[in-house]
Amino acid sequence: MSIFISAFGFGLVSAAVIAIAAVGFTMQFGITNLINLAYGGIMITAAFVAYGLNHAGIGIWIGVMVAALFGAVASLALSRVLYSPFQRRGTSHIGMVIISLAAALIVSNVLLAIVGPDNVSYTLADRAAVNAGGFILTGVQIVIILIAALAMVSIHALLTLTRLGKAMRATAANAMLARNCGIPTGRIIDLVWLITGALCGVAGAVSAIDSGSFGVANGAGYLIVIIAAAVLGGAGQPYGAMLGAVLIGEITELSAAALSPQYKEVVAFAILVLVMILRPQGLLSKIGALGPAG
Amino acid sequence: MSSNQIYYVTTLLVYAGVDIMACLALNLQFGVSGLVNFGFIVFQAAGAYAAAVLSMPPDTANGGFQQYVLGLQLPFPLPWLGGVLVGGLLAVPVGLVVLRRLRSDYQAIALLVLSVIANTVITNARPFLNGAAGLSLVPPPLAGLLDTDTVGYQWLFVSLTAIACGIVFAAANRIVYSPYGRTQRAMRERELAAAALGKNLVGLKMTMFVIGGAIAGWSGAILVGFIGVWSPATWLYPETIVLFAALIVGGLGNNLGAMLGALLVPVGFEEATRFLPNFGPPGFIPAMQWVAIGLLVIGFLWFRPRGTLPEVRRVYGDGMAPTPGRAREWTRTDRRSGVSSDGAEVLLRAEGVERHFEGLRAVDGVSLAVSSGHITGLIGPNGAGKSTLLAVLAGALPVSAGRIHLGGVDITHLPAYQRARRGLVRTFQLSSEFGQLTVLENLLVAVPGHRGDSLLGALRGKPYWWAEERELVERARELLARFRMSEKESDYAASLSGGQKRLVEIMRALMLMPRILLVDEPMAGVHPAIADEIADVLEGLREDRLAILMVEHELSMVDRLCDPVIVMAQGRIIGRGSMSVLRQQREIVDAYLVG
Repeated sequence: MSIFISAFGFGLVSAAVIAIAAVGFTMQFGITNLINLAYGGIMITAAFVAYGLNHAGIGIWIGVMVAALFGAVASLALSRVLYSPFQRRGTSHIGMVIISLAAALIVSNVLLAIVGPDNVSYTLADRAAVNAGGFILTGVQIVIILIAALAMVSIHALLTLTRLGKAMRATAANAMLARNCGIPTGRIIDLVWLITGALCGVAGAVSAIDSGSFGVANGAGYLIVIIAAAVLGGAGQPYGAMLGAVLIGEITELSAAALSPQYKEVVAFAILVLVMILRPQGLLSKIGALGPAG
Repeated sequence: MSSNQIYYVTTLLVYAGVDIMACLALNLQFGVSGLVNFGFIVFQAAGAYAAAVLSMPPDTANGGFQQYVLGLQLPFPLPWLGGVLVGGLLAVPVGLVVLRRLRSDYQAIALLVLSVIANTVITNARPFLNGAAGLSLVPPPLAGLLDTDTVGYQWLFVSLTAIACGIVFAAANRIVYSPYGRTQRAMRERELAAAALGKNLVGLKMTMFVIGGAIAGWSGAILVGFIGVWSPATWLYPETIVLFAALIVGGLGNNLGAMLGALLVPVGFEEATRFLPNFGPPGFIPAMQWVAIGLLVIGFLWFRPRGTLPEVRRVYGDGMAPTPGRAREWTRTDRRSGVSSDGAEVLLRAEGVERHFEGLRAVDGVSLAVSSGHITGLIGPNGAGKSTLLAVLAGALPVSAGRIHLGGVDITHLPAYQRARRGLVRTFQLSSEFGQLTVLENLLVAVPGHRGDSLLGALRGKPYWWAEERELVERARELLARFRMSEKESDYAASLSGGQKRLVEIMRALMLMPRILLVDEPMAGVHPAIADEIADVLEGLREDRLAILMVEHELSMVDRLCDPVIVMAQGRIIGRGSMSVLRQQREIVDAYLVG
């Protein structure tokens, strides 16, 4: 039984990491109408940035902040240099998916050329801070959960309390109308890329810290879990992504305890397929994935 | 040539053949039908695994150093056949889940994820197909009968590959340049409009998915017989991107382009880099190769989005004399034999039709009848539910409640394409031309029951369907002449003006020889002269005893054309009758005519 209790603890940490990543991913989709498949690549690159700094003797949490900055700048650059020019030309949804897949290939292979294919490991002297009948969380894991909680509360506040959040939601609903109402949608979209890019960077850094050992090849796996969480919650819905993250995080960890850790992604995929068959619009979305993309 | 050089050349040729087959298959799916199959490589892998385990001995025979299922030791060509079957069959369940319900970019993502996951599962499930290590010692075709270590065998293999390639190329050409291929391209351009013309989207997509899967499986079977090994590392998802890159470079929708792309990207890229000096850390050059593939895709999409050899514009020659005595009438006047010419027959009847969107009652209990020989007008303020009602009647949206009858038959639950086949055809409020089809093709694609508009018909080749095609071209040209659009015949519809697109859409609907036409603001945003022409045409159709239901805001047009007129507001019908009667009803004037 205790194996499941400890798996539940792991699940909380996974959920925290996935939530940070999935909220960023789903906001990109919701507001810019683009499925950014390079998200996993930027995530893992940010993880390497944080790792490199840590290797040079800088504290891990400063590394996380720098990773956030890196993710923000890299995502904005990707949007400005690649995605926006194609979107301005009126490239179809499908064209954009292909372009983002090409971008994913470029990002992860540039990284591969720099850091090589081998896994690297954090060496953290970390002891259990909470230990109750098999439910174990280390200090680092608690910090990760706190970071995730902080990020979720900030996103919630941003979207509901600020003018910027309102403008973002307006842009998501109808970009042209928003522009005609005087909302500078170009600037809003830049800000969206900065904010979601920062989430992506943080997620990459903390997931690497959480798993201890990681490599370039992890990027694709991250992406699948993120897509599963985002689609489960309802693509483009930040709260849906949070819910999806909790479900996916717990289900994958519990199933890893029951089956084998190698099948984490398979379980995530099975959930994804079930959602796509039974409720393609996701748990929280009203419109969602059904129907033609136009 | 030394034998080493010969081996090099034959290897290159077999790889080229396999890549060409894969690119042709992907071109059918993506270039022609617009299906973004990011899981393509899975189907090639399935064919390879199937051919391997069909040709290998049982896994106990080799000391148990590899584990796998089957091991049937079947003779050539059964393993190839197995590869084709497994590739095609695998496409059925995958297609049923992915193609039926999801939005197109979701489909792409779902297939990409499938590709990654399938690889993970095969890697981890060792007893099935030997896990990460993969299968080795796969016997080449005819292994027991011939000495497979000779140069002659190499050339035999090349010839077999070339034959397979030739068959696939011939079949692909027949499909792409047939009426069936035209329908597929129309679906690629605009799904909803294709469905409104009676095209069964699910069927069209599934067919292409299965055919592409079968060809992919065949290519995998050939490859595994040649290299003798197959493991998960051979079919990682980026391999699919290489094939997409090949298509984008070569030219989407063009079989020759697909072949050129196959030679340039997978073959050219992998071979060209062999001659590069090694530099950088290990793994540097392969990584840079992938970066280059990514840049190639982006660069081509930006600078030359239609590829090196773009899709061929279909131009029909002038020398097609009409076949005497067989020219068909272009409306369905012959269908009304037996109906008395004075009495208007009710063709379309709606009873208590409702359509809700998340609690909003867009259409709220509408009952109406549309009769032959009349243009029934549908007017009302914006948001009254007129277009929604049309969409519900045409089957593009399901009803929330109520019944719809077409000529006495209950069609409430028939999909749009089946309603279209029964003569209920709709035009759209927004233009819905098939942009990358010529004007003439836009008309031809609408025709139901064309001999060449099925997979088998297409595969039987041009002689099978050409006579009918020629007749239809005649009919389409008559329509074009009547609408004064003849000189635009071979222009892409995307290049027309808004008004001309409208005309194309109406002509396209007429090619279906409908009994009932639902038209949604046919004159909106159109030059007054063209609006007049459209009005003339609609009057002509009324004389031909079609039943027409028309949404229109321009009241002078409604005055001229429509009787009776139905007024809608807030999802309900608030009045009906002739315009002169309606003008005297206070409520209606307040609701619409004044405000």
